[in-house]
Amino acid sequence: MIRRFFVTLIALLTLAYLVLPLVVILGSSVTTTPFLSFPPQGASLKWYATMLHEPGYVSAYATSTMLATSATALAMLLAVPAAIALARYEYAGKRSVHALLSAPMVLPHIVLAAALLQFGGSFGLVRNFPSLLVGHVVIVMPFILQSVMPLFTSGQLALEEASADLGATRLETFFLVTLPQIRPGLVAGAVIAFITSWINVEMSIFNTTAELNTIPVKLFNYVQYTIDPTIAAVSGATIVAAAIAILVLDLSIGLGMLDETP
Amino acid sequence: MSAQKFPALLLGAALAFLTAFFLIPMTVVLVASLQDKAGGLSIAQYARVLADSYHLAVVLTTFRISIFTTLLCVALAYPLAWYLVRIVRWRWWRRACVILLVIPLFTSNIVRSFGWIVLLGRNGLVNDAAVALGLADRPMRILGTETAILVGMVYVLLPLAVLGIGNALLKVDRALESASDDLGATPLRTFLHITFPLTLPGVVASAVMVFTLATSAYVTPALLSGGRVTVLSMLIFQQYSATFDFSFGGALSIVLLALTLILVGVASRFGKVRT
Repeated sequence: MIRRFFVTLIALLTLAYLVLPLVVILGSSVTTTPFLSFPPQGASLKWYATMLHEPGYVSAYATSTMLATSATALAMLLAVPAAIALARYEYAGKRSVHALLSAPMVLPHIVLAAALLQFGGSFGLVRNFPSLLVGHVVIVMPFILQSVMPLFTSGQLALEEASADLGATRLETFFLVTLPQIRPGLVAGAVIAFITSWINVEMSIFNTTAELNTIPVKLFNYVQYTIDPTIAAVSGATIVAAAIAILVLDLSIGLGMLDETP
Repeated sequence: MSAQKFPALLLGAALAFLTAFFLIPMTVVLVASLQDKAGGLSIAQYARVLADSYHLAVVLTTFRISIFTTLLCVALAYPLAWYLVRIVRWRWWRRACVILLVIPLFTSNIVRSFGWIVLLGRNGLVNDAAVALGLADRPMRILGTETAILVGMVYVLLPLAVLGIGNALLKVDRALESASDDLGATPLRTFLHITFPLTLPGVVASAVMVFTLATSAYVTPALLSGGRVTVLSMLIFQQYSATFDFSFGGALSIVLLALTLILVGVASRFGKVRT
């Protein structure tokens, strides 16, 4: 009983440790003082308004959204066929191919980014949107591969054969039979890919400019030198966005984490 | 279409893309790291990393922080995972806790580190509390120390460890624990001889993941170091953004890659798990 009490105590303190910084940011973002203060003095959304009136932030949000969307879409186009080839077929070198396709997930992003900078620099693939895009596709592709691959089961193969027997072409079978069955993996993979791209600093930092900036890089460069309530508001906005995304996910497809009955 | 050509066709685009934007760039880095100023083959850049005391100290700092981060993450994640999987009775509360765990994962490292900049600052909550409780006479300098980096890194990586260890705990066959209890073992003995060994592969896998991410982390140490502590990733960043020494940057990158992969290899063998 005493042991159980201590485990619970440690667990709750750890949870508090996980929540505290987020509470501090959200709290200090509503302060009325012109400097950062926690607990906040008063409550107002004026720093959020300041953020929205600064064109730099708005355009950075737009760049980040466009980058995350296009990187996710492109990565899906590349990773889904590759997942089929890995899950369904046997051939020499399959393990190496799988290792290569998953490698960007375990390698340091700053190293990948530096490599792309050095290589892309030789033919002008630097400090423009395409240079950001290729880097983000490289790092999000493994996540899509990983979420989609387990969904290609052998039971599906029978359904696909049935579809082919009934006269459907390969493409028709893919869109009408295979795709609906791997949808949960696609959704989960796309969400993880989008978030990974949306919050990434390392892959973008060498390729951003004053005009072309993503929100994480802008925040990163700012926080290194000054902290003020506007930054707390920008950060607070991303926390609220994350919380909404997770609630929507949990209520729609369900996070199903650490639950005995998934 | 033959059965052999079809997978090649499916893989073609992905492989071509990764060759162009991952394999070739990494090869370029490797080649650059082995070149001297005149373009000849040389291991001078590696000697600069490992023989120079400043650079070696940076490598050691990186690994010291990573090892402490890994140990603390496992030590904190195990009780929390145990609590969520074994102790919590109300499903809605577990669900709420899982959401609290996942929100930080969906938030960027900058935002999360920023929270700690505020908390650990000279006038931050932590110093206020320490002074109020009489633990310190006056506010301490926490930001810009390895302790600050450690607090931030554990914070950033802890949710991953909790989820990994929690999943391992879920898979434990409770019948084995009951059998141990029935045979007269104390709860502690059952834990040490049955439950913990069964979760060990999950613990090792989580530790390996935390360790790899800790060695390569850039944002958290850069923000919490205040420029006073340097880790390997920050040194790499400097080479590519300020000093433009691509050869030295390449050598640092390869050292970081090699050390990470070696440690992951050793740990995976030890825990008999694949990562």
